[in-house]
Amino acid sequence: MTEYFVKLRYYPGDALEEIKERDLKSLSRKYGVQISYEKIENRQMKEGLQMENTLDKKIEDISQEVITVSGDQEGKFSNAIRALYKKYRCPRTVYSLLGSNEAGEKIAKGLMNIFGGW
Amino acid sequence: MMKVLALNGSFRKMGNTEILLKQALMGAESQGAQVEIIRLTDYKIASCRGCGLCLFRENVCQVKEDDVGFIFSKVKECDGVILGSPCYFLELTAVIKQLIDRCWILGHQIGKMKKPATVIVPYATRGWIPYISVQSTLLLNLMGLTKINETAICTQGISEVVLDQEAMDLAYCMGKEIAVAIGEKDFTYKGEEGVCPSCHDRLLRILKDRETVECPTCGIRGKLSMARGKIRVKFEEKGWADNRFRPEVIHSHYTYHIAPSKDYFLRTKEERKSKSQKYREYLPG
Repeated sequence: MTEYFVKLRYYPGDALEEIKERDLKSLSRKYGVQISYEKIENRQMKEGLQMENTLDKKIEDISQEVITVSGDQEGKFSNAIRALYKKYRCPRTVYSLLGSNEAGEKIAKGLMNIFGGW
Repeated sequence: MMKVLALNGSFRKMGNTEILLKQALMGAESQGAQVEIIRLTDYKIASCRGCGLCLFRENVCQVKEDDVGFIFSKVKECDGVILGSPCYFLELTAVIKQLIDRCWILGHQIGKMKKPATVIVPYATRGWIPYISVQSTLLLNLMGLTKINETAICTQGISEVVLDQEAMDLAYCMGKEIAVAIGEKDFTYKGEEGVCPSCHDRLLRILKDRETVECPTCGIRGKLSMARGKIRVKFEEKGWADNRFRPEVIHSHYTYHIAPSKDYFLRTKEERKSKSQKYREYLPG
């Protein structure tokens, strides 16, 4: 059985709407996949802007919201990713799927091409 | 004394662009401005090398042997800009794009300069100018300027624009307008309203979901509908906040989309090296 596992990394300003855990739980139930959420916040207000030095940090340590999705059925997994992209927009950087497995990344990346806006 | 600088993206001396820019500068001068014109093709504007040093070490550009620093310093010391360029093939001239590519180093100052700019584009055939606004908005925003007006003027042969009194009057008025805007510190948009509430252009991109449209210049998204036979675009409120030229958005872009790529670059070093080996050996040069 193939396990699909993906980490969607949303950086400040990326998501089209606020990511709420209760919405993720509802999507998890609807699509029959596991979804978890983690928020990393390292910004500080300076000169009217939320500032953070990200140049010399590990990608995993900078401010971001990480939605982790896993499942063992391609169709359900794919539909869940599609729903997340429609709701929040797809993550935007080349490193935004870091930590995903190959099967999950392939689906998540394919759907990015549809919802990513290029 | 206020200074108004005209940037000319045309190679042609005494062509329509130069004439229209000079006419606009006369308008600015009538309001007390000190004026100057720069023909961009008289200066060396080298290609961006894509080295990324300006992004990873703020304010360092590796290209030092050209005149881009001089052009940016001229923009910095003036109070307002009139940008002119002919449109040959759907967009502005190559020198404008060359300058846009060199603006990475200025990205941090978007929205900070508080200076107005106006745009005049002579072109020959109606329907052949879809991207002129994209490029002018991009260049002006990257240089920290605020576009307050723009116009495209249909004219063709060298210096023929002088035969079009309406166009000449318009250019003069736009020059006056920029001087007045500087004096009154009023940088609101004074041109024809378009569709995008930010850049005022009417260009839209349909996303692959076939449900969403996007202003390709600003990146704000919305939905299309029809009302009484007219196309309407409703931009999302959050989409509006996503306008890529807002200082907060550009700051986030640099901080979260660009700077962390250094870590990704470093951690993929070995894999990149081994996978790119065959390309180093193939057609070397």
